[in-house]
Amino acid sequence: MSILTSSDRVVGAASVGRTKRLRPSYWPFVVPALIVVIGVIVFPWVFTLWMSAMEWRIGEEQRFVGLQNYARLFTDVRFLEAMLHTLVYTALSVLAPLVLGTAAALAFNTKLPARGLLRGIFVMPMMATPVAIALVWTMMFHPQLGVLNYLLSLVGIGPLQWVYHPSTVILSLVLVETWQWTPLVMLIVLGGLAALPTEPYESAQIDGATAWQRFRYLTLPMIKPFLMVAVIIRSIDALKSFDILYTITQGGPGTASETINLYLYSVAFTYYDIGYGSAIAVVFFVLIIMLSLILLYLRQRSAWNTGDGQ
Amino acid sequence: MASVSIRNVRKSYGTVEIIKGVSIDIQDGEFVILVGPSGCGKSTLLRMIAGLEEISGGTVAIDDRVVNDVPPKDRDIAMVFQNYALYPHMTIADNMSFALRLKNTAKSEITAKVERAAGILGLGPLLGRFPRQLSGGQRQRVAMGRAIVRDPKVFLFDEPLSNLDAKLRVQMRTEIKEMHQRLKTTTVYVTHDQIEAMTMADKIVVMHDGIIEQIGAPLDLYDNPANMFVAGFIGSPAMNFIPGSIGGDGFTTEGGDRLPLGGRVPAASDGRPAVYGVRPEHFRLADDGMAAEVVVVEPTGSETQMVLRPLGAKAGREDRKRELTWVLRERTGAKPGEVVRIAPDPALAHLFNPDTGLRL
Ligand SMILES: Nc1ncnc2c1ncn2[C@@H]1O[C@H](COP(=O)(O)OP(=O)(O)O)[C@@H](O)[C@H]1O
Ligand SMILES: [Mg+2]
Repeated sequence: MSILTSSDRVVGAASVGRTKRLRPSYWPFVVPALIVVIGVIVFPWVFTLWMSAMEWRIGEEQRFVGLQNYARLFTDVRFLEAMLHTLVYTALSVLAPLVLGTAAALAFNTKLPARGLLRGIFVMPMMATPVAIALVWTMMFHPQLGVLNYLLSLVGIGPLQWVYHPSTVILSLVLVETWQWTPLVMLIVLGGLAALPTEPYESAQIDGATAWQRFRYLTLPMIKPFLMVAVIIRSIDALKSFDILYTITQGGPGTASETINLYLYSVAFTYYDIGYGSAIAVVFFVLIIMLSLILLYLRQRSAWNTGDGQ
Repeated sequence: MASVSIRNVRKSYGTVEIIKGVSIDIQDGEFVILVGPSGCGKSTLLRMIAGLEEISGGTVAIDDRVVNDVPPKDRDIAMVFQNYALYPHMTIADNMSFALRLKNTAKSEITAKVERAAGILGLGPLLGRFPRQLSGGQRQRVAMGRAIVRDPKVFLFDEPLSNLDAKLRVQMRTEIKEMHQRLKTTTVYVTHDQIEAMTMADKIVVMHDGIIEQIGAPLDLYDNPANMFVAGFIGSPAMNFIPGSIGGDGFTTEGGDRLPLGGRVPAASDGRPAVYGVRPEHFRLADDGMAAEVVVVEPTGSETQMVLRPLGAKAGREDRKRELTWVLRERTGAKPGEVVRIAPDPALAHLFNPDTGLRL
């Protein structure tokens, strides 16, 4: 009897949306999820914040130092350089796949012969494991034995030092990143293109738009929300990028390709400076959050098919 | 301002011929309506005039210039699509000015033209909005505004009203007609709705299965349909077709009733099978008329529509299923089950060849 009435009440409460009526006895059901969230997400961050306020080297006494670790960041040239490398690497690793992926999507959106097969081959880099990719590209980058310099020699350029020279290392790594992640952008944009209405293109044809103008004034603005999704995914991915960088260059030559992520790794696990490493992690995290918020805001602004009005 | 001349135009998709040789002459400033049932090829023909569809055979000429190989943008036409085909990410003003902006028209001229079109269509307050913020009728008007702004030689409309509710449709019908009377631009308008065709057209082209059944002025088609298809398609409710045969100075239905021919007996046709066509509004009560049982009475206020079942002496079970429609202007106390005697007005009736469908 009591089961009946209480379940009745649940249905009633849900159907009129009066969740406030939930009695305290329902709270236990939330507890497991709450514990998991606190244990897995909240606790590590609180603990990191706490560590970042300590001088804490593995095997030594730990000591509270307040914001000293953060102050140290501003004078740490290696950290500032890592910031710059991260920004350049991220910007290029977003832009290049975005442009190429959009172009590829436009190509695959037409009635190419054997389109399905070509598309399948095209997305394969996405599925490869980073260590294997690193191995193959390291060999291709080799100044004497690598296939890239051989190809360049065919058109009379080179030889380049690729990842073995500070001035080209970041661009070379962006090349790998672009090769791997252009297909993802292509898939996202392809989805956007498939969702486009066809009728406006006929009006545009009558209105006198050339193929380029149809792309510039119809396609591009209409797939902008999808491009923004690609930018968000790519930005966060590139910022966090670690595996490819670490396996190909370990931040070298010297520190020429050291990103925040790699520097953080060295500080924490090579120098065992846990306190300082935590401070870097916190700053890095704040950067990622800020970037995400900006991008999400831009994405919302770019939507033409939802939002303001209705 | 332009004339359009369509000569023997054909269209095939693969081996299937959709348009089977169509010729239409459209005068400068004329409002021509292509009407026919769904799938008869109206849109295809219109899209060939627009240049959106390749022409498989024959020629389309605008102002005596053959435009078969001229791209849409150089044909100086404007088209209004059934689903409006507005640019969803542009404001109404931008939608209307897009064509002009592509042509690098001066800003002041664009503003003037957009404002003029907005004025004609009452779109002024909506110019800053997006298509998704507009009702169906307003979007429809924007699509027309976009066409007006172009100031084209020819307007093409593809079922522009079929996504609107009935009341709005009647209102827009009037607006389009007024717009045409004002701008006097040559217009080709496609619809499957014969009432739209009757009320708006200078000239109607009745199409069926990729061919033209008849071309003529609205009332001309109504009064003198060339064949049973046109007779049945134009007019609502549809014309009654009564099978039977010609005999003496009259017509005998298969049910055995005698219908008058008013002395218009075709030569050498005694005993010949034929179809007697009479519009629902052309029956009247007559003591010597055919007997029929009232099946349904549908008063609409201004007129009354009745479904009748002839009770001819020889009427078999099949014949009794051949119901007739009668529309009368006055109200009636007739009830289902009652028997009335009605006769057609022979001066307004038609005879058709049952095999070819052609009018005798
Ligand atoms: N792209 C196409 N490929 C093959 N058949 C088509 C194509 N477009 C239209 N059709 C066929 O042509 C016929 C006429 O179509 P349409 O002109 O749209 O008819 P309407 O506008 O009179 O309803 C239809 O039977 C349709 O199935
Ligand atoms: Mg159609």
